[in-house]
Amino acid sequence: MPDTATLGGIGRPVKRKEDPRFIRGKGTYVDDITLPNMLYMDIVRSPYAHATIKNIDASRALALPGVVAVITGKDLEAHGLHWMPTLMSDTQMVLPTDHVVYQSQEVAVVLAEDRYVAADAVQLVDVEYEPLPPVVDPKKALEPGAPLVRPDKGTGTNHIWHWEAGDRERTEQAFASADVVVAEDIYIPRIHVASIETCGCVASFDRVSGKLTIWMTTQAPHAIRTVFSLVSKIPEHKIRVISPDIGGGFGGKVPVYPGYVCATVASILTGRPVKWIEDRSENLQADSFARDYHIHAELAATGDGKITGLRIKTIADHGAADAAANPSKFPAGLFSICTGSYQIPTAHVEVDGVYTNKPPGGVAYRCSFRVTEAVHAIERMVDRLADELGIDPAELRFKNFIQPEQFPYTSALGWEYDSGNYPAALQKALDKIGYQELRREQAEKRARGELMGIGISTFTEIVGAGPSHTFDILGIKMFDSAEIRVHPTGSAIVRIGVQTQGQGHETTFAQIVAEELGLPVENIEVEHGDTDTAPYGLGTYASRSTPTAGAATAVAARKIREKAQRIAAHLLEVSPDDLEWVDHTFRVKGAPDRAKTMQEIAFAAYTNHPLGMEAGLEAVTYYDPPNLTFPFGAYVCVVDIDKGTGQVKVRRFLAVDDCGTIINPMIVDGQIHGGLTMGLAPALYEQIWYDEDGNIHGGTLMDYLVPTSMETPAWETDKTVTPSPHHPLGAKGVGESATVGAPPAIVNAVVDALSHLGVTHIDIPITPWRVWQILQEKGVAGT
Amino acid sequence: MAMTFQGTVTINAPREQVYEFLTDPARVSRCAAEVQKIDTIDDTHFKVVAKVGVGFVKATFALDVEWTEKTPPSVATAKVRGNAPGSAVEMTAGMQLSEVPEGTKLDWKADVMVAGVIASVGSRLLQGAANKITGDVFACVKRTLEAPAPTGA
Repeated sequence: MPDTATLGGIGRPVKRKEDPRFIRGKGTYVDDITLPNMLYMDIVRSPYAHATIKNIDASRALALPGVVAVITGKDLEAHGLHWMPTLMSDTQMVLPTDHVVYQSQEVAVVLAEDRYVAADAVQLVDVEYEPLPPVVDPKKALEPGAPLVRPDKGTGTNHIWHWEAGDRERTEQAFASADVVVAEDIYIPRIHVASIETCGCVASFDRVSGKLTIWMTTQAPHAIRTVFSLVSKIPEHKIRVISPDIGGGFGGKVPVYPGYVCATVASILTGRPVKWIEDRSENLQADSFARDYHIHAELAATGDGKITGLRIKTIADHGAADAAANPSKFPAGLFSICTGSYQIPTAHVEVDGVYTNKPPGGVAYRCSFRVTEAVHAIERMVDRLADELGIDPAELRFKNFIQPEQFPYTSALGWEYDSGNYPAALQKALDKIGYQELRREQAEKRARGELMGIGISTFTEIVGAGPSHTFDILGIKMFDSAEIRVHPTGSAIVRIGVQTQGQGHETTFAQIVAEELGLPVENIEVEHGDTDTAPYGLGTYASRSTPTAGAATAVAARKIREKAQRIAAHLLEVSPDDLEWVDHTFRVKGAPDRAKTMQEIAFAAYTNHPLGMEAGLEAVTYYDPPNLTFPFGAYVCVVDIDKGTGQVKVRRFLAVDDCGTIINPMIVDGQIHGGLTMGLAPALYEQIWYDEDGNIHGGTLMDYLVPTSMETPAWETDKTVTPSPHHPLGAKGVGESATVGAPPAIVNAVVDALSHLGVTHIDIPITPWRVWQILQEKGVAGT
Repeated sequence: MAMTFQGTVTINAPREQVYEFLTDPARVSRCAAEVQKIDTIDDTHFKVVAKVGVGFVKATFALDVEWTEKTPPSVATAKVRGNAPGSAVEMTAGMQLSEVPEGTKLDWKADVMVAGVIASVGSRLLQGAANKITGDVFACVKRTLEAPAPTGA
C-alpha cells in the first residue's frame, strides 16, 4: 500500500534529485554550453559615471588577430536596437551613441575567436570621453540645477515617479492626536545579489531556419522570449530561450542586461553562435543592484503602546534607469506591506523614484518586491517605539499583533492577509531561546559594563504574485503553469512555468505529484527552463513558485486523478461515484480490497481505456492564485559587542518560520539557513557605495564582503504551521522569509545592546568601524 | 575621485640646471621606474607609457602630456590625460623653482582626477602609492642633479 513516506510525498525530507549532478560537477550551466564555430564577446565599459563620448576608435582592436568585429551604439542604432525597454516600462541604453550615465556602463562590444583575444581587444578600443558632472545622491538629484541623468526623457528632472498608498488625512489626524510619536531616518544601502554564477548567454541564430536559440542565465525564460520577440520582431515561435542549471538568481537574473541583447544581435549579424559570460567585477559593478531606499518612518501610538498610525516617506534611488522587475502597477513593489504583523488603524506611505548616475536596477534581491525594505522599516520602528515607551519589545509586539481570529485581515494599506498566528510564533521563539533568562543575563552584563543585546523581528511577508487581476509584468499576467504527463508504466514528466536557480524544484514539484497521484517520487521527472517545451509561465522570484506553479501542479494532478477515477471505475466495473481515493489508491467504497493503483490505471489509460474516452493521462493547468500568500516568522537574535574593536558577534539566532504547509522540510530548512546568511550579509557586511564622482566602492569581492561559513553563526530553526486557506496545498512560499526577516532582528539586537547609551538607530551594514565610532562618541570604547 | 598631491624638495644645484632637467621628458623619466616608454611628438606634446601598481592592481597607463606653460627657469605646468584598462586619469601638474641659499627650491603640485577601476578598487591605497612614487622620483631627481659632474671622456 503506497503511503506518503514510501512515495516521498508532501512533508517528507526527500533528498534533492538535482544534487547528484551538482555534487559531481555534472551540472550544465550556461558557460558549459559550447557550440561549433562559436565567437566570444567581451564588453568595453565606461570608467566615468557621466561623460560625453566624443569618439570610439576600434582600429587597434580590429587589427588584433582573432578579432572579428567591434559593435558600438551607432551600429545598433542602424537597427533601432541601441535602446531597450526595461521590465518597468522605462528605457535603458543597450550601447550608447553619444554619452554614458554610469560607471561600468557598456560602451562597445568586441567579438573574437577566443575569450582571451576578446579580453585583450577590449583594452585596444580607444574611447575618447569628455567627463560631465555626475549626481550620485538621490536627494541632491532632486535639487534644482542638478545634473540631468536622463535628458532623453524630456522631463527636465531626475524624478521618475511618485507612488503612494493609504489614507493621508486620517493618518495625519492619528499623528496629531497621538500621545507618542517616534521618527527615524533609515537608509537601506545598495547591495548586490552576488550569485556564485555571474550572468551570461550563448546566442545562436540559425540563418537557414531563422531560429534564434539563447541559453541564458534567466529566472523568467518565457517573459524574456516574449520581450525579445516584441523588440526584435522575430516571431516568438522562432525564439527559444533555455535557462539551464542556474547558479543562484536572487532577483539579479530577472532583468534583461545589455550583454544579452548585444550577444544576440552579434549572432544574428555574424551568423555564428556568440558566448558572453561576465566576470565577477562586471557582475558586481554593472548588473542590477538591490535596495537603495532612503526611508523616513514615523509611528504614532497611545501612551500605553497601542500603535495608532504609520507614516513613511521614501526616496528610491533607481540609478540611471528604473530597471527593477516589479509588477507594473507597483513601482515601489509591495512596500505597502510596511504595516507588518500589527493592527495599525491607519497608514500612509509615499515613495519617489529618482534617477542617479549609478547602474540601473532596484531588483527584488531575495525578497518579494521591496518587502525587505518594508519589513526593516516597521520592525525597526516597533523597537524604536518600545524603547521610547520603556516597554519590552516582545510585549509591545504582543500588544499590537493582528490576532489569529482576525484573519483574513485587511491591512490599512489594503492587503488581505490570508492566515497567520503571530502570537504563537513569537511565544514559541521566546520560550525556545529562553527570553526572560537572556534579559536577566543582559541586565547583569550591563551592570558590569558589558554590551549584549537581544533583537526581535516578527515579520510578515507578501509573496506569490498574482493574482492576475492585479499583477503583471509588462502586461503579462502573473499566473503560472504546470503540465503533467503520466506514462503507461506509471512514471511521469512534469513541466513547469517556473524555473529553478537552486531552490530544488525538481524535487519539490515531484513530491507534489507523488502525493497527489500516488506515484513514487523517483519516478517523476521535473523539467523547466526551456521555452520550447515548458508551458508558459512568469518564472521564479518573489517566493512565487510554490504559491503559483506549485498550486498549478496540484490542480493539474487533480485533473489527472479525476480521469483516473473514471478509468479505475471502468477497470473495476463500478460507477466512478462508488470509488474513493484512500491511501493513494482508488478503492471501492465498502470493499476496499477492490482497488486500482495509479500505476495500474496509467497502463490502462494507454491499453484498456473505456470506449469513448480519449487515451492518455495528462493535464495542464494555468493557475491564477486568488490572493497572495503571507508567510511570517518570529526571529530572535542575541549579540555581544566587543568594546575594544566594535565587532558584533551573533551569539545565537533563532528563526521560527511559518510558511504554511511544508512540502519538503529539509529544503525549507536549507532555504532558511541560506536566507539567514543572506540576511546577515547586509546587516553586518555588505554595501556598495559611490564616491561623489560616481566611482563604485564595493565593486570587487575584496571590498564587498559576502559572508562565508567563517562569518555565519550556527542558525537555530523551528516552525509553526498555519496553512494558507486559498492555496490547494496550504503552502505559502519560503525562499525569502529569512533574508527579509533577519536584518532587523540583528539591527534590533545591536541597538538593544547600546540603547542604554541613548542609541536609537544604526544604519546597516553595522561594521566594527561604525560601532567603534559610536562607542567612542559615548565614551565607552574599550582599550 | 579628485586628489591633490604636493611637496617641496631642495636641490643643491643651479636653478637653470634643475629646470632643464625637469622639463626634459627623456632625462626626468629615467628617475621614474614606472615609465616604460616616451615618444616626443613636438615641442609641447609627448606620450608616456607607464606601468603603475596600486595595491594588487597593476595598470599600464597611456598618457598624453601637453606643456601648457613653460617659463624658464621658474615655472612649468603640464596637462596630462590618459587611460588604463577600465580607468581614466586627468592631471594638471605644475612646478615652481626658486633660488635659495642651499641651491634650488622645487615646489610641485599635482591635481589628479582618477576614474574607473583604479579609483574604485584602489582608493584606499592611492595616496600611499602616489607618495611612494613621488618620493622615489624626487629622491632620484635630487640624487642625479647633486651628483658630481661626470669627468673624463
